[in-house]
Amino acid sequence: MLVGLAWRNIWRQPHRTALSLSSIAIAGTITVFLLALQQGAYGTMKESVLKLMDGFAQLQPPGYADDPDIRKSISDSGPLIADLVSLPEVTAATPRAASYAILSNGPQSYGAAIVGIDPAREVKVSNLASTITRGRYLQPGDEDAVVIGAGLARNLKLNPGDSVTMLGSAQDGSIAADILKVTGIFSTGSPALDRQVVEMPLVHFQQDFAMNGSINLIAVSGEHLSTINAAIPSLEKIARRNDLVARDWTQLEPALHDVILLDGSFSALLYVSLVIIVVFIILNTLLMSVLERTREFGMLMAIGMKPRQIGRMVWLELLFLAGSGSAIAIAAGSAITAWAATQGIPFPGAEALFSQWNMPSTLYPQLTLLSATAGPLAILVAVAIAGFIPYARVRRLEPVTAMRSA
Amino acid sequence: MIRKAALILLATAAMTGLASADTTAPAPNPDALLRAAFDNWRADSSQADMTMTVHRPDWERHMEMKTWTQGDDDALVRFTAPAKDAGNATLKKGDETWVFNPKLNQVIKLPASMLAQSWMGSDFSYNDLSKANDLLTEYTHKLTGSTKDGPHTVYTIDAIPKPGAPVVWGKRTVRVREDGIMLGETYFDQDMKPVRIMTTEKVSMIGGRDYPVVMTMRPEDEEGKWTRIETKDATFNQSMPGYLFTLSNLQNPRN
Repeated sequence: MLVGLAWRNIWRQPHRTALSLSSIAIAGTITVFLLALQQGAYGTMKESVLKLMDGFAQLQPPGYADDPDIRKSISDSGPLIADLVSLPEVTAATPRAASYAILSNGPQSYGAAIVGIDPAREVKVSNLASTITRGRYLQPGDEDAVVIGAGLARNLKLNPGDSVTMLGSAQDGSIAADILKVTGIFSTGSPALDRQVVEMPLVHFQQDFAMNGSINLIAVSGEHLSTINAAIPSLEKIARRNDLVARDWTQLEPALHDVILLDGSFSALLYVSLVIIVVFIILNTLLMSVLERTREFGMLMAIGMKPRQIGRMVWLELLFLAGSGSAIAIAAGSAITAWAATQGIPFPGAEALFSQWNMPSTLYPQLTLLSATAGPLAILVAVAIAGFIPYARVRRLEPVTAMRSA
Repeated sequence: MIRKAALILLATAAMTGLASADTTAPAPNPDALLRAAFDNWRADSSQADMTMTVHRPDWERHMEMKTWTQGDDDALVRFTAPAKDAGNATLKKGDETWVFNPKLNQVIKLPASMLAQSWMGSDFSYNDLSKANDLLTEYTHKLTGSTKDGPHTVYTIDAIPKPGAPVVWGKRTVRVREDGIMLGETYFDQDMKPVRIMTTEKVSMIGGRDYPVVMTMRPEDEEGKWTRIETKDATFNQSMPGYLFTLSNLQNPRN
C-alpha cells in the first residue's frame, strides 16, 4: 500500500517531479559519458605506450628490473615461449636480449640501449616497425643490421646504409665489438626511446655478446591489455616454474601508472562534487514538499497511520525519484556513449600532447559495466542515505499540531 | 675568585691536552700525505704488469695487462690475456678517454655518459681510470684519526668534495701509511652511505719501493662481488718515449 501511495504522491506535482528527475538523469548521463571517455583514454594511452616496446607483460629473471645485467639471463627459452603462447589469452611472445653499449661513428660516440630482437616474432608484440620513418625495419635473415632511434641517429650523424661501431661488454666479460649497418630509423615521438634505443637481430646479438643462445626477457602480447592482465596469475605460474618473475604493465610503465592514478583521483573529485550537488537539489525539493504537506501528514496520522509509516512513504518517494532518474541516466548515458564509441571523438590540436604517449588524437569512449553504472548508482545510494533527514522529520510530527499548521 | 679558579682549570686542561698530543709524532699534513701516496703509487712515471680478477658469486675471470702512466694525467692500459681480450687498450690523455679494439681496428672516444660504466666488466669504472687524481684536486682533506700497525702509523683522512666539484661521491675516506702507502679507501654516496670499499691486501717491495701490490675493490650492494688488481712487476721514474700516450700508438702499438 505504501508503495502505491508513494508512487501516486510523486505524480501529484508533475512539474516538480519532472525537474527533479531530469536533474538526476542529466547528472547521471554526464558521469556515464565522462567515465567511459576517461576509461577509453586511459585504455588507449596504456595500449599505445605498451605496444611500442614493452608488450602487455614480461617475464624476466629475478632482479633484472632493478639491475638489467646481461648475465641475468634465460638459457633455454624455446619451451618457455611455447608454454606462454599456448595460453588462450596470449597471442604472441617474443624473446629479447639487451645491453648497454657505446655506439660510435667517426668522432661522435654515444651510449645506447641495444636490444636483440627476433624480427618475425617481435612485430606481433611491438609496433616499433610502424614508426620507421626512413629505411626499413629488421627482417628475418638480417645479420649485422640495426634500426636506430631518430634522436640517436641525428646525434651520431647516421643515415640508412651507414655503418656504426658498437662496443660493449659481453656476457662472459669479454669485449663485445662489431660494425653494424643501419637499415632503418624510427621515430616514436617518445624522446627516451628515440634517443637511446637501438634494435638488432637477436641471433647476431647473441653472437656479439657471447650469450650462448640465452636471452634476457620475454615480452608478451594479447588481444587487449585487460585479457593479459587477467592472465597474469597463469603467467606467474609459468614464470615461477622457470625461476623467473612476471611483471605486469604497472611495473613495466610505473610512471604512466602514476599519471593515470593521479588523473583518476582528480576526476573522482569532480564526480563526487557533481553527485553531492544533485543530491542536495533533490533533498531540498523533498524537504520543501514535506513542509508543505505537514497538514496532510497530520490528517493521515489522525486517521490511524503511524509516523513511522509516513516516514517510510516519504523515503520511498525519494527512492522512486532517484531510481527512475538513475535508470534514465544509465539508458541515455549508455546510448550516447555507445554511439560516440562507434564514431570516435576527435581532439583537434591535441596531437602534440597525445603523441608523447604515442596516442592517436581521436578517442573512443569505453562502455563497461563500471562506467555505465558507477555514476547513477552513486547518486541513488547518496539520495537513499540523505533521505533519512526527511524521514526523521516526519517521525517527530504530532497529529494535532501538524493539522493546525498552515 | 671563582672565575680565576676556572681559568686555571682550563689552562691546566689545555696543557695536559697538548702534552698528550706531544707523545706521538706531530700530526702530518693530510694534503702532503695523499700527495705522497700518489707519488708512491704512480711516481713521475710508471710501467707495470698487472693481473685483474673479476669475481662474481657464480663466475670469475682473469685478465692480464700492461700499464704505463706519466704524471697525473696520462695513462695507457693494454690487455695481454686472455686471447679473446688481448690487444684491447684504454688511453687516458688529459680529460679524454679513448679505447682501442683490435677486432674493429678502431679507436673510439668514450662519451662522457659512458665514463661511469664498468671498465672491462670489473668493479672499476672508466672514471676510476681517468679521474684517478681528482682525490687530490677536487676534495678538501681532513685528518680524522691514526692507529698503530706494528712499526707503522696508519692515518685516516676524510676527503670532502669542494663546492661545485664535478664528482659523484659524497665523501671518500682514505687510509694511508705514514710512509705514503695507500692502504684503503671507502667511497660514500651523497647520503653518506658506503658504496664500495677498496682495500690493500698486500704491501711488498717492488721496483725498489714498498708498494700496495694487491688491491681489492668490493661494491657494497652485493655479497661475493669483487675485483682484485695485483701488480706483478713495476718500474718507476723511467723516461717514457713521447709517442707512448698518443692515439697512433694506441692503435698501432710500438711498445
